[in-house]
Amino acid sequence: MELSASIVTAAKYLAAGFVMGIGSIAAAYGEGQVASHAIDGMARQPEMEDSLLRTMVIGQAITESTGIYSLIVAIMLLMVV
Amino acid sequence: MLEHLGEKLVLQFGDSAIFGLDVISLIMSWVVMAVIIGFAWWLRQGLNQDVEEEPSGRLVVLESMIELLEKQFSDAFEKDQLQVQLFSFISTLFLFITVSNWISIVPGLSSPTQDFNITISFALLVFFISHYYGMRINGTGKYLKSFSEPYAFMLPMNIISEIAKPLSHSFRLYGNVFGGAVLISVLTAKLIPVLLPAIFQMFYGLFIGAIQAFVFALLAVSYINVAVEQ
Repeated sequence: MELSASIVTAAKYLAAGFVMGIGSIAAAYGEGQVASHAIDGMARQPEMEDSLLRTMVIGQAITESTGIYSLIVAIMLLMVV
Repeated sequence: MLEHLGEKLVLQFGDSAIFGLDVISLIMSWVVMAVIIGFAWWLRQGLNQDVEEEPSGRLVVLESMIELLEKQFSDAFEKDQLQVQLFSFISTLFLFITVSNWISIVPGLSSPTQDFNITISFALLVFFISHYYGMRINGTGKYLKSFSEPYAFMLPMNIISEIAKPLSHSFRLYGNVFGGAVLISVLTAKLIPVLLPAIFQMFYGLFIGAIQAFVFALLAVSYINVAVEQ
């Protein structure tokens, strides 16, 4: 393989790793925040558990989308570019 | 070893990519439908009994499933009218996605939800249904006018956020299922081909699969709620 092609390949793998690593920090932190506050609420008001659980899952799903976008970008970097 | 990951078996009927047919996803979604129909038929046989008899096992399974779905999805709708009208649609979405995620734990079968075309079609279905009900309940003129609120210059932003909804909705399901599938094939091909992939398969297939199906259905409910509320 000539030099420029191997530089491109190396940059591709590096970029995919960074995208996944840095991109998932925010998603994981956000989901943890949502879960911890939902548990606070459940401990305070156990009768609200059902609706809190539902709202928590929706909130986590929306928070997770940034993580999923970074996964899509990483997959595209590895397989499409 | 992993070059097959992004590949698809596509039947081409014309020059454009629109006329391609992804054979594997199509067959797998038929398999999922067959599983659901067969299970429903099997449960239906349990209903052929007198009222006075003690309820059979299948009847109890059916009732507890309906109760679970009603508790989670029916109550999530804010309008009482929609609780009745859309409960079956949301439950069907949930059941289909759950079974398609679970079917990947059978060796040799792949989930249809690994294919972005399938998830985007579900998301578009939810998109059109939410706008249809928004127009029907609020009146078409009032509903369309609500996009230019609070200010008229917000119109492009509101339209973009509406377009982003089905995209993020479908990417979420696709990303989770496809990510799990990639992880498992990497584990099998490059690391340890014994035992560990099976455990991951169980975790991703059963646990994450059920959670993602639940999330997909709940988000569909909340998108419909938002459209109806405006």
